[in-house]
Formats: sequence, C-alpha cells, structure tokens
Amino acid sequence: MASTPNPPKPIVVWITPPGPNSWKVIVVLEELSLNYRIHSFRFDDVKKPPFIDINPNGRVPAIEDPNTGITLWESGAILQYLIEVYDGAAHRLSYTGLAERHLCNQWLHFQMSGQGPYFGQAGWFQHLHAEKIPSAIARYTAEIRRVLGVLDGVLAKKAKAEGKAEGSAVWLVGDKMTFVDLAFLPWNFRLAEVLVQSWDEVWAGLPHVRAWHERMVELPSWKRSMEHRARLMDEQGLQWNGVPKGIETFTEYEEKIARGEDTTALGK
Amino acid sequence: MAETKSDIHLYTAQTPNGIKISMLLEELGLPYKVTAIDLQKNTQKEPWFLEINPNGRIPALTDTFTDGSTIRLFESGSIMQYLVDRYDTEHKVSYPRGSREYWEVNNWLFWQMGGLGPMQGQANHFTRYAPEKIQYGINRYQNETRRLYRVMETQLSKSKSGYLVGDRLTIADLACWGWVASAYWAGIPLHEFPHLNAWVDRIVARPACEKGRHVPKPHTALENRNKTQEELDKAAAETRAWVQQSMAEDAKK
Ligand SMILES: N[C@@H](CCC(=O)N[C@@H](CS)C(=O)NCC(=O)O)C(=O)O
Ligand SMILES: N[C@@H](CCC(=O)N[C@@H](CS)C(=O)NCC(=O)O)C(=O)O
Repeated sequence: MASTPNPPKPIVVWITPPGPNSWKVIVVLEELSLNYRIHSFRFDDVKKPPFIDINPNGRVPAIEDPNTGITLWESGAILQYLIEVYDGAAHRLSYTGLAERHLCNQWLHFQMSGQGPYFGQAGWFQHLHAEKIPSAIARYTAEIRRVLGVLDGVLAKKAKAEGKAEGSAVWLVGDKMTFVDLAFLPWNFRLAEVLVQSWDEVWAGLPHVRAWHERMVELPSWKRSMEHRARLMDEQGLQWNGVPKGIETFTEYEEKIARGEDTTALGK
Repeated sequence: MAETKSDIHLYTAQTPNGIKISMLLEELGLPYKVTAIDLQKNTQKEPWFLEINPNGRIPALTDTFTDGSTIRLFESGSIMQYLVDRYDTEHKVSYPRGSREYWEVNNWLFWQMGGLGPMQGQANHFTRYAPEKIQYGINRYQNETRRLYRVMETQLSKSKSGYLVGDRLTIADLACWGWVASAYWAGIPLHEFPHLNAWVDRIVARPACEKGRHVPKPHTALENRNKTQEELDKAAAETRAWVQQSMAEDAKK
C-alpha cells in the first residue's frame, strides 16, 4: 500500500471546542495520522477578526494548510480536500473509482444538509433556547428520527445484500469505513443529550445504525479526539453544553457577547 | 476516459433544490429525461423512488455509468459535483480538480447545502407552513437567512466577474440561485441586498439558466417580488396542508 504523504508543516485547524462540526475534521486527521495543530479559540470571537478574515461566514471549523497555501472553511469542503490531497495515494478512508467517490460525496452532502442542521436545531430548542416551544422541539426530534431511520434502513439492506452475519461491520459505501461514515459520528455521539434520552432509548428500533455508530466510537482516533475536546473545553472553563461556567443559558451567553462583556472572568 | 453512452434521468419538482440540477444540465448542454415528482402526493415516499433516494427527497438522478450499469445519485450538491466531474471537461461552470478555485467553489457549495438551504427552509416553515404562529421561530430563521445573505452580498461586492468564485458562473452560484430567488417567500425583501439582487438577474439573463429554471414546470418565485405578504400567505395554503400532514406522519414513526 502506498503511504500517505504526511505534510511537513502542520495543518492548522481553527476550532471552538464544544460544537460537533470541528470534530469531524479532527477525527479524520487523527485517523490518517496527519501532521496538524489545533488553534482553539473562544466562541465569543467567531464573528471577529482574525477568524472572520479566514471564514467570512464566522463559523468553525476552518483550516489553513501552509503546505499548499490553501485556506478552507465548511467541514464538508475541508473533508473533501483532506481526502483528495492526503488520502489520494493510500486510500485508507476513500476510494479511487468515480462511482465510489461520488457515492461518498452523496452521503457527505446528506450529512451536511440533512443531519447537521436538524440535529443542531433540535439541540437549540431543547437546551440552548431559554423558552420551551414544544412544537419546535417535536418538529426537529421527528426529523432526527427520520434521518436515523434512513440510515438504519440503508445499513440493514446493505448487510442483507452483502450476506453479512448479524453484528458484522457494514459501511455506507463499499466494504470499508470511509470518511463519510466518520462524518456522521460527532452528531450521533451527542444524541442522548440532544434528545434527552438514555442511550438505549436513543437507539430503540435502530439496531443497524447503533452497531455502526458504536463501532466507530471504539476507534482510538475518536478516543484521542474526545480527549482533546475534554482538555480544550476545560481550558476555557466550559460546561458540557458549551456555556461558560457561571452563566445559566445560551441566550444569556449570547446577550453578554453582544454587549461586549468579558465572559472569561465568569468561567474562572 | 472511454465514454460509455450516458443516459441522464432527473427526478425533480419545481423547487429551489430541483432547479439547481436542470439549470446545470442546460448550462452543460447535456440531454436528459425528466420525471416530475408530485410532492403533494408524496410520490417521493413511494418504494420505487426510495430505491433511487432512500431519503425520500428530490432531486435524484440516475445515469448509465462508465461501466455500463446504472448509478443512482441523490443530494443536489453531490449530483452537481458528479455532473461537472464527469461531463464538464472544458470547465464551463467549474474549475480543474485541485486548483485553488476548485476548493473555493466547494466552500460555497457546502455553505449552501449545510447553511443557506436548511436555514431558509426553516424560515419558510415558520413564516408560511407552521401549524401555529411562533414569532421566535420566524425571527430566528429569517435573521439567520439575512446573515447568510449578507455573507454572500459581501462576497459578490468584491467579485469582478459578478459570480461567487473567480471569473465564471459555477455550481456554487447555481446551488444558491433558487434559494435567493425565492427570498420573498421566506419573508425577506431581496432589494435590501443590491449585489444579490443584480446577481439574481444576471443569472436569469443566461439563456441556459432561463430554460433550466422552468423545469419541470414554470418557475414563478421572481414574480413574488411584487406580491404582498397576504397574497403570499394565501398561495402557501396548499403546501401548508401537505407539510403539516407529512410532519404528523413522521412523528408517528
Ligand atoms: N439537501 C437536499 C434537500 C432536498 C429537499 O429538501 N427536497 C425537498 C424539495 S426542495 C423535498 O423533496 N421534500 C419532500 C419531503 O420532505 O417529503 C438536497 O439538496 O438535495
Ligand atoms: N418535510 C419538509 C417539507 C418542506 C421541504 O421539503 N422544504 C425544502 C425546500 S422545498 C427544504 O426546506 N429543504 C431544506 C434544504 O434544502 O436544505 C419540511 O417539513 O420542512
């Protein structure tokens, strides 16, 4: 197998630690053992320079790759770049064929537009928004279940088509884990919190998607990613939901940011 | 690459995500068949369609692949990447793989797919379709859509070509167009964004885009510029009933 060209200079990844999207990029970097460095900063600063000059949309993650001189944002675009440039020889997490490449892309776009935004809205209405709006929570909870149902159906069908025994590994594209399987991991990892359910309740009636997810959770690359997260959250004095210690709700946090208050003092 | 004969078949409806593909196919001058999907009748949830897209959404596309067998694709962003990767060898609406512009197109393509589409979709939902009026939901998603429009407005104000990336129209522009063109439906007056407004008209002026936007039936979103909010609300009634019914069904599962 051809070896993956490891970049001589570290790829810089700009992140704020709580949100799931940055961890899609980190887990892929970890899985490919690439040379990278995390630049962790505070959520208070996403819409300010220097970050806004890197990503005009003011959202993490973004990367700067000094080896190619390219700056990129949007986690899906970053993943396509990392895979093409740094997994193009070994294909540990990707394929060479046109069909497999586009099937991976299809699932990546589904993750980006179908999983992320709706899981995010559910989390918002469930936890971060001060006022509880049952119909909004119900809307996004139903969408999460629908998306998980789509994945479960596809994985079940694939296991059957491939004649796989119960519990053996099935992946979204082809016969190995790719970067698109990993792309679903960070949001699914947060489901118990997002849905406010026990782990067993979360996966009720979804055995295939559960087994797929739990296989990835065991990866050393994911465990390392989550160790980084814990350390970086702690460094900023953040609670599990991303709000600094000493502040009650996200609404209050955003108001403090809007007023230009120093929220770090509260975290200490 | 030895080209097997392609046989592009587009499954679509008159929506912002559907017309991305027909506009692109027209720009590339590719022959294609169209099957109009009736969303109100939930044709997209029928087993034959789920074989093509297990997610039960349009657009979807099938083609004869280079190996002679059928490839099925869904998600408008991935369909666009497939079409330019395979067919836009002259780079009419794309850039060579690996070039700087190629990656910059990707920024905006994913920005549309993960940001503009879902957020403006939620603005539509709370503004036009929700079973109860929730002012917070309307504000949240209209504000986010406006913020996203401002990001695009700034990019276009700096562009010499009048398009999002480099010197030409690309799939990044086509991905955004249907959504921005229906700003009024989401309750956002587009004339507040002069560069965006001009960009919408610049794209309609291209004969291929003009043809592609009317697939599978006439595109009417631009006419909403002159309608009152009341008229728009009336027009939403039928869709509102469908959205609420599908939501009720999904919640039962
Ligand atoms: N991210 C998807 C979104 C597709 C989508 O939202 N399609 C809508 C029409 S624009 C649909 O088919 N809705 C049918 C339904 O929800 O039942 C894409 O871009 O292809
Ligand atoms: N089941 C959908 C029905 C409406 C629908 O499909 N809307 C499309 C636009 S036509 C949408 O918002 N798509 C989001 C996207 O493209 O990301 C819902 O409840 O939102």
